[in-house]
Amino acid sequence: MSRHVIETDLALYAAGDLPVWRGAVVKLHVRGCAECRALVEALRVDREELRRSADDMPAGLSKDFDWDQLAAEMTANIRVGLAAGECVTPRERKIAPVSWRPMAIAAGLVVLLGGAWWLNIPRTDTETIGRALRNIATGERSGPPQEERGPVVGASSAGVVLVENGGQIRIDQGGLEPVMYSVSTQGSASARYVDQDTGQVTITATYVQ
Amino acid sequence: MSNKLCIAFAVASGISLHAQALNHKIDFPKDSPVSLLSEDFGNSNATARGANLIDVNAALSLRNSGQKRIRSMTLMVSTQDAAGKGSVSVPTLDAGPGETFSVHISTRLVRPLTAGNPVVEVTLDGVLFDDLSFYGPDLLHSQRNMIRWELEAQRDRKYFKTLLAAGGAEGLRKEMLSSLARQGDSSQRGVQMVRGRATNIDAEPESQFAFLDIPESPVEASNGRARIGASLAGAPQFEVRNRSPRAVRHLEIAWIVKDQQGREFLAASMPADMTLAPNQSGPVAQDAALRFDRPISIQSMSGFVSSVEFADGSQWIPSRGALDQTRLRQLVAPSPEEQRLSQIYTKKGIQVLVEELKKF
Repeated sequence: MSRHVIETDLALYAAGDLPVWRGAVVKLHVRGCAECRALVEALRVDREELRRSADDMPAGLSKDFDWDQLAAEMTANIRVGLAAGECVTPRERKIAPVSWRPMAIAAGLVVLLGGAWWLNIPRTDTETIGRALRNIATGERSGPPQEERGPVVGASSAGVVLVENGGQIRIDQGGLEPVMYSVSTQGSASARYVDQDTGQVTITATYVQ
Repeated sequence: MSNKLCIAFAVASGISLHAQALNHKIDFPKDSPVSLLSEDFGNSNATARGANLIDVNAALSLRNSGQKRIRSMTLMVSTQDAAGKGSVSVPTLDAGPGETFSVHISTRLVRPLTAGNPVVEVTLDGVLFDDLSFYGPDLLHSQRNMIRWELEAQRDRKYFKTLLAAGGAEGLRKEMLSSLARQGDSSQRGVQMVRGRATNIDAEPESQFAFLDIPESPVEASNGRARIGASLAGAPQFEVRNRSPRAVRHLEIAWIVKDQQGREFLAASMPADMTLAPNQSGPVAQDAALRFDRPISIQSMSGFVSSVEFADGSQWIPSRGALDQTRLRQLVAPSPEEQRLSQIYTKKGIQVLVEELKKF
């Protein structure tokens, strides 16, 4: 017999837990191998010792004792202990390590998309979208669309504007605020400005074609 | 990585944004009484951003090259394919022959992207002289407005001169302070006018107009009504009667709106081209709707005849007395000339204002 049986199999053999065909093989080897036979004997002695120790346990722990219930109770007690510990001990937050690279990529994309929007979408369209989103969010219709089905002229403190056929004309006189403005039902809007230094009055207007 | 993003962004910017100097054309007729001395389109440009954005920032220096004094002028600003037309008017000029004056234009036009550089054209629409004669193609019907501004200017200068003669500089000063107070108190609202069947105004309930009768008015308005919705009023219609001995070809009704808090403001004007013989009546219906930029609950509406143009081209405007006798003084905006004079008083004092009035 050139090779010994591994110790695990010998332990199972000693306890009678090996399958039949494997047990037969080990039994054959143990008969011819003094070293393994000695180990099997030692394992059987240890097993007998353990059984005797179990018989010496306190009263109430009979052989029919429900070990599963005991394990469950112990687990529950451990959890209660951990929860109580968390109440009195400040919890240490784990901060996930932050990598600058994904953040840089995300910031770059935001800048790129924002820039592309700013460069390619007219401001009026942005305003219209913003107004529509606001109306959806608030559930009210605070401002009319710039153009529904007909030309629209408007006058406000921002000046005069005409929206027609996707085109637009806006006159704001250099950002000055008009002293008065009005619209007419014939399709025009006008705003009046006064030069603060000279007093010269300028009136700007837009007209539906 | 960040370097690559910067490069990509710069390339995208270079491709997408190419602001270019604006091509412009100033076209005055050869016999124009106004000639161009110099022009500065320095800050003007055209940018392709989903559409052609054309920013016109121009300062024009002009000279009265005619023989009459110029009282007002209107320039038309346009570009091909852009929506509508724009205009810039200077209604309070007093430029004698050979004298110079300046006009500033600040306009943004948006038009669909097309091949080729956009060209902005500035043309003369009209010039009004001190004798109320007019020069220009009048494509924007600016002659009517310019005559009205001049009539208002004459009316108000006469009023202030009368005050000066009766009460001296102190009397004029009191009136200027009163005018400035009215200008400060006037309330306005941003408003849009939609023309045509572009709204659901037909489904809204109809409400009556209360017309304020100005006894001296050559035209009487009555039986006014319009539809009122949430922050919306439209489809106005009314009847007018010419109670003067002269034929009328155009009139304007001022449209006043009162909100639930009792605040009144001038919402719009309703011009109407119509021929009315003496004592003749006729209906006026406008296919348009007013929309306010802030929510408003309209309590009532009223109106008054604000100007009338007769068949011979002359006009009627309410006198200051007529405006003072009603509550219209608080609603009607001061004339451009009154605003010019009150600005002179504010900036330069009563003596300069007195000297200014003596020029006319």
